[in-house]
Amino acid sequence: MIINIYTLIMLFVAFLSLFLGVFLFYATIKMLLGFKPTVPLETKNTYEQAGYLVFLTACVILSVRMLAWPWFYFMLQSFVPEVPGAMCMFGVTQILPFTVTFLQIIKPISFFIMGGWLLCYSVDKAVPTSPLIRRNLYFLLIACIVLLIDSITDISYVLRMKPLMSVSCCATFFDVPLRPSAMIPLAVFGKHFQEILFVLYYLINIFLVILLFVMLSKKWLFFTAFTRKIILSGLTVAGVFNVPVVIYAFIENIVPRLMQLPYHHCIYCFMGKGVVPDAPIILGLFVIGTFAIGWVGILRMLCIQAETQSITEHLIKKINGLSIFCLLASLVMVTIHLLFT
Amino acid sequence: MKNKLWVGLVISIAVAFIGVTYQKFLKNPHCAFDGSAVPPIYEVDIVLKDHSVKRFCSIYCAVQWFKKNNQRIDHVLVTDEIRGTKLDSYIAYFVKSELITNETNKNRIHVFQQRQDALTHAEKFRGEITDDPFTIDD
Repeated sequence: MIINIYTLIMLFVAFLSLFLGVFLFYATIKMLLGFKPTVPLETKNTYEQAGYLVFLTACVILSVRMLAWPWFYFMLQSFVPEVPGAMCMFGVTQILPFTVTFLQIIKPISFFIMGGWLLCYSVDKAVPTSPLIRRNLYFLLIACIVLLIDSITDISYVLRMKPLMSVSCCATFFDVPLRPSAMIPLAVFGKHFQEILFVLYYLINIFLVILLFVMLSKKWLFFTAFTRKIILSGLTVAGVFNVPVVIYAFIENIVPRLMQLPYHHCIYCFMGKGVVPDAPIILGLFVIGTFAIGWVGILRMLCIQAETQSITEHLIKKINGLSIFCLLASLVMVTIHLLFT
Repeated sequence: MKNKLWVGLVISIAVAFIGVTYQKFLKNPHCAFDGSAVPPIYEVDIVLKDHSVKRFCSIYCAVQWFKKNNQRIDHVLVTDEIRGTKLDSYIAYFVKSELITNETNKNRIHVFQQRQDALTHAEKFRGEITDDPFTIDD
């Protein structure tokens, strides 16, 4: 194990979320099993207090757990000087590669699910009768499972991480002609994939921003249910399609240009080396902008009821606004770098 | 909400410009020979015997300065064009090709850490491997 401030904080958060996650899981199942739509007046106070404790714990632990995702990359960056041969985070990921890959997949998933749950809970909390409590408890169970898997893997990774082997430089993976980030788009788009990816990056992001603006405009209220469904489906499809396009466009086009290293495609160097100081902000804005589209979908799926309709609609508008801002800001920041660097 | 959006966008534009300024003017030093900004990919560092470092924007500028000051020089660090890593000029491969790295001084010498990268560049841009320009004749 490498001991530094990053691993100690990571371990503390992981152990804390593991213990509280187990409690939360147990308490949620207990609440679900004893759930009654109407509660007698004499037991109402105890029931409310138990629910309050469960949801308060969930809010705290899920919020803290969401921060573990960026913290994980800070921790990986702190390992770079310790690992022989590592020049950036990529080298660190060569030690315990399966665990790191798993963590890099589970962390965005847990961030998305936990964010979605917090939003659903905020809708439920805003209505005095708490009409979504049962759905929220089921959703919390899923969030707890992800939280427990994430925490256990974090603990396992930090404890087993030993920089005993020499690793290769990122250039041997990211800069070879047969790199996956080039081969997959090459197979899909053909020889001129870099130009196509670059154009697609702008087109899809602008399309998403326009759709989100349409949903915020007053005209949205006058659209028929069918038109709304088409726009929402378009938004979801474009949002999902945008993720691989942005990842490949960054690795193939944007990262080398922004780093001023035209043959170097390493996204870890871009994120962590400080060559482009605002790179984490650019990536963070894109992630939140994209996840916000998904969170709106979750709210529409789980929280639209007669009692909660107005509150949910109001929250959806706010999240749409956040999504517009994040996607637009990320796009503008990339453009400024491309034009002026 | 519109106001918040505009304020947020203005802040992100400002952050991006700060990032660009940092990259262009603060992080990238200016060439000790002609004063232009030093692109990280072509940076040449000449380490003097008193351990101070002179930075240059291209092999051309570094060689010009090197010729006049070779008594003061301890060693020279050049940058691999592929990975951006710095290495001693003794172990680097130099290629003179048709590709110009700096429009101002028309520098055509490129630096590589790996021999294969140097050969690939030479083949692609009609060049040939040349000697280390930072060797001191005895």
